[in-house]
Amino acid sequence: MKQILEEPRIHDPAVTGVFLILGTLLAFFLNHITSSIIDVSSIYILSVVVIARLTSRYIYGIIASVISILCINFFFTYPYMHIDFTLAGYPVAFISMLVISFFMSAATTNLKEQSLIIAVREKQLAAAEKEKMRANLLRAISHDLRTPLTSIIGNTNIYMDHSGLLSEEEKKTLVKNIKEDADWLLNMVENILTVTRIHTSGAKVTKSMEPIEEVVSEAVQRLQKRIPSARVNVRVPDDFLMIPMDAMLIEQVIINLIENAVMHSQSTKPTDLYVTCEENSVSFHVRDYGIGIPGYKLPDIFNGTGTDTSAAPDGKRGMGIGLSICKSIIDAHDGIIMAYNMDIGAEFCFTLPKDGGTDTEV
Amino acid sequence: MNTKLSILVIEDEKNICDFIATALTSQGYKVYKSYSGRDGVSQITSRCPEILLLDLGLPDLDGMDIIRRVRSWSNMPIIVISARTQENDKVAALDLGADDYITKPFGTSELLARIRTAVRHLSSIRSGSSKESHIYRADGLVIDFDRRRIFVDRQEIHLTQVEYKIVSLLAKNCGKVITYDSIISHVWGPYADDNNRILRVNMANIRRKLEKNPAQPQYIFTEIGIGYRMRDEES
Repeated sequence: MKQILEEPRIHDPAVTGVFLILGTLLAFFLNHITSSIIDVSSIYILSVVVIARLTSRYIYGIIASVISILCINFFFTYPYMHIDFTLAGYPVAFISMLVISFFMSAATTNLKEQSLIIAVREKQLAAAEKEKMRANLLRAISHDLRTPLTSIIGNTNIYMDHSGLLSEEEKKTLVKNIKEDADWLLNMVENILTVTRIHTSGAKVTKSMEPIEEVVSEAVQRLQKRIPSARVNVRVPDDFLMIPMDAMLIEQVIINLIENAVMHSQSTKPTDLYVTCEENSVSFHVRDYGIGIPGYKLPDIFNGTGTDTSAAPDGKRGMGIGLSICKSIIDAHDGIIMAYNMDIGAEFCFTLPKDGGTDTEV
Repeated sequence: MNTKLSILVIEDEKNICDFIATALTSQGYKVYKSYSGRDGVSQITSRCPEILLLDLGLPDLDGMDIIRRVRSWSNMPIIVISARTQENDKVAALDLGADDYITKPFGTSELLARIRTAVRHLSSIRSGSSKESHIYRADGLVIDFDRRRIFVDRQEIHLTQVEYKIVSLLAKNCGKVITYDSIISHVWGPYADDNNRILRVNMANIRRKLEKNPAQPQYIFTEIGIGYRMRDEES
């Protein structure tokens, strides 16, 4: 971006020339009709402003104003076709026009520079933000992966080294723990894999039109394959509705939200998953009837920071990464995700636009 | 049965191959293992297994090539093992003639269900009997192919021509995934539009007629990006 500011563009002199010639022609035309010198100088000031706006450096605006003044003197003041500064009052008019042109060109150039600088700064900020998110995510992931791995390695070591000393019951517990950790790891890896489907630039996800009921039902099916005890009540609108999305990613969001509800709500009631339809968007709600979300967690719940500290008082591993991945996925779909407490329990809700924003395929 | 049904597993990850072999052997199948594509191909011709379990991500040979080669001379059931993110590979493998796929990671029950479906498919190929003179039954759903009638919990359900064609195709191949493209060309003919929207609209209507809750289907399951799978028949 900076380079564009500093390197004069090749077409700048051309722009200057073209607009001066256009201005001169227009001035001749007007002068022919009205024969007023005011109109002529207005036309030239206008050309100078346009040139200052379209070129990348002050110098073109200034050159344009000097040439304009010479042109006015040469073409439009007596003696015609001669340069003559001696006429009374003209020096004042010329100098004031020079000053006006100069300020105009300086102001427009300045404006352009500033908007460029702002754009550059915004880009840098966005890049820094992204970098920070990536670093946070990686840190959280490595931390979260190490814990179950440690447990798996420990449990297998005990099993292999001391199998003679263990009762059948103890062995079963060890293997059960290993399986639980492995399941958890698998879930984590699937979550991380989904992130690779989000591109960093351009069309952020590859969308296609998908029926809501199919996405919802496949998500619930996949979840219940992994957690057979999870009970979910599903409701979708009666009307058939297709919206643009990356179905695998949206399924992952639904799975994460339901799993979060099943694992952390401490509720005995089934989780509700229902879809509502607004004019331009569709909302997916995951509602549980459990203990609700502790107030201190709510502001950061999608930031992926909730995992490592005291976040899991119930002894279960947190869903920090899962929820932050939900947010990245919904953001990439130009949607909104929210979490809030209800009278009883909590609700997570995400909304997807029906037209899919700007980059929809199909 | 007197002779054990033989299954060849081609999978380069030794741990996974062994796990599959153990699970299948314990169910009374005769299992051959192969850790590479080349060895697998030679075992296919030398041992003539009845069912082939094939991993798509082999280091030495392209799994697609193996499917192509086998299909040139045999219609043995081929079940493809693939990873979650390779939807395109799954569809390509199915289009090349693979019968079904199973996504890693899978549990033993899922694996055995796929094998059972393949075995049933195999016996229907062998006996040469078309399934036309047959009744599909699963839970409360009954499809009478002879009289083209469908019942849910003893209530007759009225489907349109197209809907019936879709349902009967899925039911005759129950337990197996059927790709969008093969359903579309079966129902609308080979020159039909590739766009699967019309199929999915029809499926939504079918679900509203057959299922108690279309969002929690009991009979027809979605495999997004691939196709549909009808619930296995009750034996």
